[in-house]
Amino acid sequence: MNQNKFLIQVTLQDTFLHRLNGETKVRLFVVGLVAVIMSFDLRILVPILLASSLGVLFSKPNWKSIRIVFLIVVGVNLLNLFLFYLANPSLGEYWCGENTIIHQFSTRYYVSVETLWYLLVRFIKMVTSFMVSLWFIITITPSQFAAGLAAHRVPYKVATIVSLGFRYIPDIARDYENIKLSMQMRGVELDPKKASISKRLKQSLLILIPLIITSFDRVSTIANGMDLRGFGRGKRRSYYVEQDPTVWDKRVRFITNVIFILSIVYIVGSMIWPAPTNMWCPL
Amino acid sequence: MEKNWITYLFGKWNTQTVVAIAIGAALFGVLMIYGSITVFTNTRLTTAMIVPVVVGALYGALPAAIALFFGNMFADLLAGWGFWIDWSIGNFFLGLFVGLLPLYGARVKDGIFKPLHAVIFGVIAVVGNALAFGVLTPIFTVLLYGGELTITFMQAFAAFASNSIVLIAAGIPVLFALAASYRRSSGLRKE
Amino acid sequence: MKKPLIEFKDFSFRYKSQTEATLHDINLTIYQHEKVLLLGPSGSGKSTLAHCINGLIPHSFEGEVKGSCKIAGVETIDASIFALSKHVGTVLQDSDAQFVGLSVGEDIAFALENQQMNRNDMVKRVFASASLVGMQDFLSHVPYQLSGGQKQKVSMAGVINEDVSILLFDEPLAALDPAMGKTAIELIDDLYKQLGKTVVIIEHRLEDVLHRPVDRILLMDEGRIVADMTPEQLLTSNLLIQYGIREPLYVSALKHAGCELSIEDSPASIYQLDLSRHQKKLLDFSSTFISSQSTSSQDIVLTVEDVSFAYDKELVLKDVSFTLRKGERVAVVGKNGAGKSTMAKLLCGVIRPNTGRILVEQEDYLHLTIKQLGERFGYVMQNPNQMIVKEMIFDEVALALRLRGYHEEEILAKVIEVLQICGLHAMRNWPISALSYGQKKRVTIASILALSPKVLILDEPTAGQDYRHYTEMLSFIEQLQKQLNLTVIFITHDMHLAIEYTDRAIVFADGELIADDQVFKVLSNDDVIARANLKQTSLYTLATRLQLKPEEFIEHFIQVERGKIHESE
Ligand SMILES: Nc1ncnc2c1ncn2[C@@H]1O[C@H](COP(=O)(O)OP(=O)(O)OP(=O)(O)O)[C@@H](O)[C@H]1O
Ligand SMILES: Nc1ncnc2c1ncn2[C@@H]1O[C@H](COP(=O)(O)OP(=O)(O)OP(=O)(O)O)[C@@H](O)[C@H]1O
Ligand SMILES: [Mg+2]
Ligand SMILES: [Mg+2]
Repeated sequence: MNQNKFLIQVTLQDTFLHRLNGETKVRLFVVGLVAVIMSFDLRILVPILLASSLGVLFSKPNWKSIRIVFLIVVGVNLLNLFLFYLANPSLGEYWCGENTIIHQFSTRYYVSVETLWYLLVRFIKMVTSFMVSLWFIITITPSQFAAGLAAHRVPYKVATIVSLGFRYIPDIARDYENIKLSMQMRGVELDPKKASISKRLKQSLLILIPLIITSFDRVSTIANGMDLRGFGRGKRRSYYVEQDPTVWDKRVRFITNVIFILSIVYIVGSMIWPAPTNMWCPL
Repeated sequence: MEKNWITYLFGKWNTQTVVAIAIGAALFGVLMIYGSITVFTNTRLTTAMIVPVVVGALYGALPAAIALFFGNMFADLLAGWGFWIDWSIGNFFLGLFVGLLPLYGARVKDGIFKPLHAVIFGVIAVVGNALAFGVLTPIFTVLLYGGELTITFMQAFAAFASNSIVLIAAGIPVLFALAASYRRSSGLRKE
Repeated sequence: MKKPLIEFKDFSFRYKSQTEATLHDINLTIYQHEKVLLLGPSGSGKSTLAHCINGLIPHSFEGEVKGSCKIAGVETIDASIFALSKHVGTVLQDSDAQFVGLSVGEDIAFALENQQMNRNDMVKRVFASASLVGMQDFLSHVPYQLSGGQKQKVSMAGVINEDVSILLFDEPLAALDPAMGKTAIELIDDLYKQLGKTVVIIEHRLEDVLHRPVDRILLMDEGRIVADMTPEQLLTSNLLIQYGIREPLYVSALKHAGCELSIEDSPASIYQLDLSRHQKKLLDFSSTFISSQSTSSQDIVLTVEDVSFAYDKELVLKDVSFTLRKGERVAVVGKNGAGKSTMAKLLCGVIRPNTGRILVEQEDYLHLTIKQLGERFGYVMQNPNQMIVKEMIFDEVALALRLRGYHEEEILAKVIEVLQICGLHAMRNWPISALSYGQKKRVTIASILALSPKVLILDEPTAGQDYRHYTEMLSFIEQLQKQLNLTVIFITHDMHLAIEYTDRAIVFADGELIADDQVFKVLSNDDVIARANLKQTSLYTLATRLQLKPEEFIEHFIQVERGKIHESE
């Protein structure tokens, strides 16, 4: 199985976002994500969406794999929205306080401007949330991610879970392939053309059990390798991948902090002076 | 005894446990993507649910919970469909419940897993699932992403049902097999 | 008086899952700035002893410890594994397991990261130690892009940059090509000399280790230290043969010629060896040589035509062509990362050529599935961990037979037979996780031998194997080959295996096939040797020192050896 099938990067290209260090990227990502999660307001979502889309655009990603993922995300979210609508056509009233009906299908089902607005906002929120994770995924390596977390005082043992997990995902995927091959070479037919589907399904289970066994058998050998080289010996550790911050890191961090403060102000503000409606509706 | 109780719940935080969580999470991520069938939007019937069973049995409840939290995150990041913390939280609690095994006497590492344990495991798995996906995930979904309750509950129900099926239908046999394998690998001698 | 650094007193250890102890009554002292070689058959407890030194026993492997083991004056039981890691740096036998970093650079830096070294110093150190092992251009590579030998180099680089006083190498040479193996031994020796480290090496390749002097050799058997002496004493004794360890080839040659070696001959190095007393006997020995001609049939089983292959962008194999005849035994040799394992995977259809064709019995193999190819090709992969799918030894070996629908009695008979040949019969009901590395490798060989395929591909079959097990397995393969007219492909870094068990060598360097000829001829071509990182055997050196024709001398030696093996059967 080829690692390129996953979006996650192991080596970095040379673009602006790639060059930032782990700490900066993690902070920007977390603040962006918090801002998206906490707000249901297009005035905040749209700028973030634009910024992160630009981020993706300038990071020269592998468009082919991104396109597929993007289509899946949009598809699933549209389906979700449709289900939301089916479950409760008067959603807009709850969120915007009014009900401007444009078309009535039956007594229960009608289309209102507010419902459409709500669905639009929610759709954009989902896409924004996706874009915020996307730029992050394609510009960071797992080790930088771990370094960034550790720089934000996440205990490094927890940060290690992230980098180690990503370190072994390709191995596990490859184990899966190897076990499959080893089985095939010894006489299991897994070629889609030559065996029936139900038979192949059963045989995939044959692979699953050894996969679990080999994966967990590994744990002690890996832990030994780490212990022997002093893992867990100090309270902190340094990171080979974490470059010293450059001028640009400092600038981006400054902007991130500003966004963070603004988000806090926005959240606190909307608690003290609650808006008349549950979400911002300019209609 | 008191101290054991704590170890079973929180695990021993040595390198082994850290690695086990990481490997568990990685396995969860891989199986979530390659070893599952979609049953409802955002919900899959997935063999990945074996992971908390194994991690819980061998390393404790909290490690199982963390493995699922990160595992869900890995799956999201790998597949590239975003970062949905509400489901990570749900999975965290699910892992916690599933991983309670040693608390009711199922010491898989010592080869102990009896039918009674299987029954308790089944009940906890169902109840834990209901709590994690029936209550906690929907709360977080609505809170964080402002979803629609009915649909969120339907998704939660689909997750609840499919996870429960996998946990019981695959988890229990795996536990029996695991315990048997630990029993077999003791008292070795050359014949 | 030197300071003792490693002290075992009446030490014994039993793994929790075992009923009997694995180490018995170990009494051993290793002093500061000593270089010690630990020898012993596979499964004799060498890695276990190493784990006692680095603290994995008792801190990671559960079991019962008796007696005392002190490292730098501290009982290992009382010290934490971190405290011990400040004294001992270990290169593990399983280099896959040791690779915990996401990329080569990060892995080499791992210990430094834990010491909280600042990044600028770290980058310099990492580059320096990567350069020492020749991996400086691979710093951003990820583990799956590396060949077996390259991984081993990385783990070595990761350990040499630590500030420890004891360096422990568990089979550092197993996956290295001959030239790199030589470099590694020189590197270890430099660390020992220049940095004053104490070095413990575990290796089956005695002759290769003796390329640079060692102070002492410990010989282990069944968990006991049965000899503790200088290399000279050991080589002049009969202990090596008694415990089934390969002697250096030149020592065997001298013995075949009827020479009695003594310590005064300084037998530990082929260059320093004093031949004056033995010259006559050796010359007599070689004059009895009669050249023989080997024959193989004319039926072609496999044709590889202009095959090229790339995993990503870079071509790993470039325009490779060769043919294999029925009943042939071929050695595939060459540099680490040259594409040997890749070639094997291509033959089994695991990956398919980008350009070019592979013909199996005259037909293109593209339409054959892996399963169908698996009925003809038996492939033992380089890394045993990637092949093993079952938990118990017996089930693993029986798996393919079961899948092919044999009767249980037939399976039982076959499995028992191959397990006996591979020296695993006594452990047939064990879980694989309780095996040593060499034993695991033998399980994978057994599982393929049980199938008697038409073409057998063995990737590094002798890595990590002792002489006795390896001759037993190889003579069985030879027997099979004669009975069933098997074609056998050995992918190997072991020149002795190539000379003794094969008729022909295919040499790879950087993805190209650079030579395809009789083994002797290949090994007398200096250009090929240099390009493919090969090495002359010590027989060659011996012959040139005697001013004999190396090829004839080597061939004669092999004839005598083969005669010996057949006598003993
Ligand atoms: N984790 C384990 N649990 C139980 N038994 C073990 C374990 N590891 C090794 N053994 C047993 O201890 C014995 C010695 O193993 P060890 O790995 O020390 O051998 P070795 O001399 O290093 O062999 P090799 O040259 O093949 O690596 C073997 O018979 C093996 O079955
Ligand atoms: N799965 C893979 N993906 C990408 N590159 C790979 C992969 N496997 C091997 N390579 C690269 O292909 C080249 C050939 O590797 P291969 O394993 O065939 O070497 P080898 O001749 O068997 O070496 P060794 O003697 O060290 O085992 C190496 O440079 C390696 O980096
Ligand atoms: Mg060993
Ligand atoms: Mg190889």
